[in-house]
Amino acid sequence: MQKGFYSGRWTYAALVAPILVLIFLFFYVPVGLAFFWSLFLERPFGGGSQFVGLDNFARVLSDAEFWDALKRTAIFMIVAPSLAIGISLMLALAADRGLRGSSAARNIIIWPKAVAGASIGVVFVFVFNPFLGIFAPLNEIWPGFWNPRIDGTDAFITIVVAQVWNGIPFNFIILLSGLQTIPDTVTKAAVMDGASPWRRVWDIQIPLLTPQLFLTFVLEFVGTVVEAFGLIDTMTEGGPGGATTLLIYKIYVDGFKAYDLSGAATQTVILMLFVLIMVALQFRLEKHVKYER
Amino acid sequence: MRGDAIHLDAVTKSFGATPVIDAITATLGGGEFTVILGPSGCGKSTLLNMIAGLERLNSGKIRIGVREVQDLPPKDRGCAMVFQNYALYPHMTVEGNIGYALKVAGVRQPERSRRVAEAARVVELGGLLDRRPSELSGGQRQRVAIARAIVREPRVLLFDEPLSNLDAKLRHGMRMELSQLHRTIGATTVFVTHDQVEAMTLADKVMILNKGRIEQFDTPHAIYYRPASSFVAGFIGAPPMNLLPVTGGGGVLRLDDGTELARNPHEGPAILGIRPEKISIGDKGFAARVVYREDLGSHTAIVARLSGGQEVQVATPIGMHLDPADTITFDFPQDHLHLFDPATGLRLETP
Repeated sequence: MQKGFYSGRWTYAALVAPILVLIFLFFYVPVGLAFFWSLFLERPFGGGSQFVGLDNFARVLSDAEFWDALKRTAIFMIVAPSLAIGISLMLALAADRGLRGSSAARNIIIWPKAVAGASIGVVFVFVFNPFLGIFAPLNEIWPGFWNPRIDGTDAFITIVVAQVWNGIPFNFIILLSGLQTIPDTVTKAAVMDGASPWRRVWDIQIPLLTPQLFLTFVLEFVGTVVEAFGLIDTMTEGGPGGATTLLIYKIYVDGFKAYDLSGAATQTVILMLFVLIMVALQFRLEKHVKYER
Repeated sequence: MRGDAIHLDAVTKSFGATPVIDAITATLGGGEFTVILGPSGCGKSTLLNMIAGLERLNSGKIRIGVREVQDLPPKDRGCAMVFQNYALYPHMTVEGNIGYALKVAGVRQPERSRRVAEAARVVELGGLLDRRPSELSGGQRQRVAIARAIVREPRVLLFDEPLSNLDAKLRHGMRMELSQLHRTIGATTVFVTHDQVEAMTLADKVMILNKGRIEQFDTPHAIYYRPASSFVAGFIGAPPMNLLPVTGGGGVLRLDDGTELARNPHEGPAILGIRPEKISIGDKGFAARVVYREDLGSHTAIVARLSGGQEVQVATPIGMHLDPADTITFDFPQDHLHLFDPATGLRLETP
């Protein structure tokens, strides 16, 4: 660690303190309280609480709805980031090759980044409206072909599409900038070695892009928990019939609609552990990331 | 293995309205070591890339051996290339780097390893095959890049300023090795550089480019002793040839102020060229004033000013003590004069 920029060590402490206080107050305290509450039975309208040990966990884990929500969360966590990164990667590869129109596309693709999750939800509700939206003509040919208000799968697809659309701009920027740091001569060397454009994608570009791919993957993963809430709340409110109730939304409904505060706290703890495990698994993948340039 | 000749036929390339390569026609001999030399921006790398197939021609033809290649993709031209910054694949081992072209070409494993090992042996890389490029020194990376180029046994080897990233000592070593390597594998070699020492030491023939045109394409000896233009004269040699505007008449060449510089039958205006080491200092001739002196060990380089204000560089033998402001007497020996046309810059052959 480099020393000596400021003379006294208290200067460092004073400069770091505000952000430490904020992180402590608004992250560690709530997380700690969630763990604490998960061991108590809280009364919804105040008036003391009762220590129940692991009873809350036993109750939540024996609830079929919880497992359904966890399963949907897992599917969502795999499908949405894969699509969001896969599509971004294709767009970035195309833009990097300097195909015609790529400089204009580069700007246009980045714009959606400036739209908030809830606004995207509102827009997509309209876009996917079974009578007015883009699939309305198909519904005229095959009545009932598309209706996210009734069909759970359609609703789930809607959420996935919105999430993917939301993620593309950022992933695209990161992946494109990663591709552009690959030296021109390395590409030329591969051309001289006889590698076709597709072969270069697999053998040269994707391996050299692993740091950026890893970053977008971790961020997308966390995003499926954090950002998905706004989309679900504005688009489906968890419906129809719970088909889009991911764990994060179930916690909100249980806690703030049903006033099961202890159950919500318990599920929060479980969700945090779940995300922690998933991210830990991803960091095991980091062994294969090639940071050397 | 024997290399194919490369025939350039009115090869032209322009970026927008600016011609970068202007109708170049030349034949680069099969198995020869040709150095393309020129200042930055003269189009030398563009020309190399066009031979390699990395850049398209606007017009003209390129033949390698008997095949016209200007419309073929790089992999079908039988060329391999070594890049300035090595351009190794950072995520592959040395073995993976050298063998990548074979892998792409579908060469199967025992055969591939054998050829990689053979190429690594030629450039003395044995024992480093499982390292990654980031674990190698600059010189070792350069060897990997060369091994990667020769492993396919190309008919033509292209080098794009391969030594300019190395320090001076390594560069000298690599120069010797490249020269030996060329004799061993015998491929037609085209080597682009802006370093005249590399050009003079390595080349069978040197092509000097300036603004997309060939100034001279000849042996290093001819380029040094019979420069075809004042550009070549001023580009080759360290320090370069002195070039002075003179007027000939009555068997002598004079500066504008009438100072007699040398005896020569040329009549009319000309550019007089003389190499710094050919100027003799003695008691006959004309006067000049020393303005600057550099002791270089093997010789002393001085800059002197003539009566008309022109500056002349002179290399003097060691042991001659000259200080700024000293007055000395120069003589330009008649055998070592070069005359160039003041309008075209082309060499004038004196009768």
